[in-house]
Amino acid sequence: MIGKPMLKVLGILLGLGVLMACGLVSPETSFAPTHPQELGAGRPVCSECHSTDVAKGALKPFASFDHTTNFVKEHRFQANQDINVCASCHAPSFCGDCHGGKVPMKPALRLGDRPDREAPHRGDFMTLHRIEGKLDPSSCFKCHGRANNQKCQACHR
Amino acid sequence: MGFKSPEPIGCHAGAGGRLGRNVKWRTKVTLLGALVAATGWSQDISVQGITIAQMWKQETPGFDKATYTPATQYLGIDATKLGSDKLSLHLFGWGRADLGDSSVLDGSKSGGYLTYGYLQYQFDKANAELKVGRFAVNQSTGFEQVDGISARTDLRGGFTLSGFYGLPVLYRTVDPVSQADYRFQRDVIFGSRLAWRSTKGLELGVSYLQDGSKAAKDLPLPSATDYSRKQVGVDVAVTPTTIFDVRGRTVFDVASHPAPAAGAAEPSKLAEHDYTATLKLGGQLAVSGNFVERNFFAYFAGSNLPSLFRQDEHDLFKAWGGKLTWSAASALQVVADYRRTHRETYGDANRAGADLRMDFLEKTVLAGVGAHWVSVVDAKLVDPLAPYRSLSHREARAWVLVNKGKFSASLDGIVQYYDSSNPYIAGLRTVYETVGSLGYQATSNLKVSGDLSYGSNPVARHETQGLLKAEYRFGMGKKGGQ
Repeated sequence: MIGKPMLKVLGILLGLGVLMACGLVSPETSFAPTHPQELGAGRPVCSECHSTDVAKGALKPFASFDHTTNFVKEHRFQANQDINVCASCHAPSFCGDCHGGKVPMKPALRLGDRPDREAPHRGDFMTLHRIEGKLDPSSCFKCHGRANNQKCQACHR
Repeated sequence: MGFKSPEPIGCHAGAGGRLGRNVKWRTKVTLLGALVAATGWSQDISVQGITIAQMWKQETPGFDKATYTPATQYLGIDATKLGSDKLSLHLFGWGRADLGDSSVLDGSKSGGYLTYGYLQYQFDKANAELKVGRFAVNQSTGFEQVDGISARTDLRGGFTLSGFYGLPVLYRTVDPVSQADYRFQRDVIFGSRLAWRSTKGLELGVSYLQDGSKAAKDLPLPSATDYSRKQVGVDVAVTPTTIFDVRGRTVFDVASHPAPAAGAAEPSKLAEHDYTATLKLGGQLAVSGNFVERNFFAYFAGSNLPSLFRQDEHDLFKAWGGKLTWSAASALQVVADYRRTHRETYGDANRAGADLRMDFLEKTVLAGVGAHWVSVVDAKLVDPLAPYRSLSHREARAWVLVNKGKFSASLDGIVQYYDSSNPYIAGLRTVYETVGSLGYQATSNLKVSGDLSYGSNPVARHETQGLLKAEYRFGMGKKGGQ
């Protein structure tokens, strides 16, 4: 058990810590929770509107967010470093189309009417996975290493 | 050997995760009901739902004939301005019911999952926010699902601090004994990231992740399988100009592991290097290069499927490649790519190809074609009777999507050509699948569509599947991303 004097000391330290932390917090206005303008259909080209100036609170050169095919496949870096930028246009459920600990069907099946979207495992991936898994199992691990692998367990036990 | 827990294992059914193990279903329903009821306070609520009905039949020699008719319901709620402009609630999950034979391998005819459900408070300053509930964390070291609390804020001087603490969402392992071990080890999850960002376009981050406070050696009957993890990550983004950037991360496995067998090499602590550089030349051309290195012992740490993602292979994987993107006009984009992969135990492979995307009549018609070649130049141990080049194959895809008024239609075809000596194709060198879809936007909030697919593959020479889908969205929320 922690005695009352110790609790007081801990309380004072915690209070001081909070005060110090508040002093350290940036005074900049937060990034807009929603995009200021409605965007058209399809992938946006951010640099059509955003200049090379960095934006306060986000400090990101937006030219690097153009939603090219390459960006869509490599978006993990941007999402890891500042997902608030993604959240200004995308609802969290958009990420959930592919990223979920447990999904009832592969994204390519759910998005069968959207061939324009980069959904993994289009076509007969059951045959292909025996090759891809030998050449690069680490690519499987990203999504199926710690979750989403109940179907894998039918054969791989 | 493992530790047998007296508690029942139930994380694979119901809502899943920690909640699925230790909390009675009545409590779960009450908590979820309270969260949903909280949306009544919202001044801005958005509800998105997708209902999918599928049907396919299967006739496999040696097995009973089966007819599968699963119905799947996705439901998401985003409620903002919950009494305050800064407080919001986000829920998303799905449920499944099989009207015919069970479509999942455990034989159950129903199931569901809460992907996320959290309250979020966003502050006016410093991009600060708090989340409580079930949420996903994607800091530098990876993607985690957590039942707990998270916080982030920008600090003075360009620093950013974020952290989370809670219970890890648990998934299923292959048997009850390993499931008990898994649950024993993964009793807590927490992590933090500290980053610094300069106005000149440099961002550096350091992160730590700990998943579980125990390890396999702490079990009453010690096991060889660690489901817990301790990782340190370093991430970097260099964007000195809008035409050039380098992004990537390095992750280390810092958990203590049993000493290797006498004479065996100490496994590397380096789990992953993953770096991409992009150079934009004018407004039309972009070149990117990527380098990846992964040591399987460290990279596969914490897998709940260790028989597949085997740490004991001590394998090393490296890959490098590049992409050339040419945007000839806003309506035309060509991407050419090349990648060479090297795996110590299996050898090397080259992958190359190109994709072309087009849009006509201001995105009324979207279309794409692509082709890729995979040349397995030096793979080993494929099959004692098969040459190692047999894994080489080619793939081609073509698709078109038309949106005209309230109607939409799409056609997507993909075909793979395999080497005749490939041991996995049961003599079928050409494998293909076509998907056709018709949709009707009945109202601004409701769209119905139907997909019909036909294909041929080594498991089913003739495979036909049908899928009906209804998508609806109510409320005032503008975010989406579709």
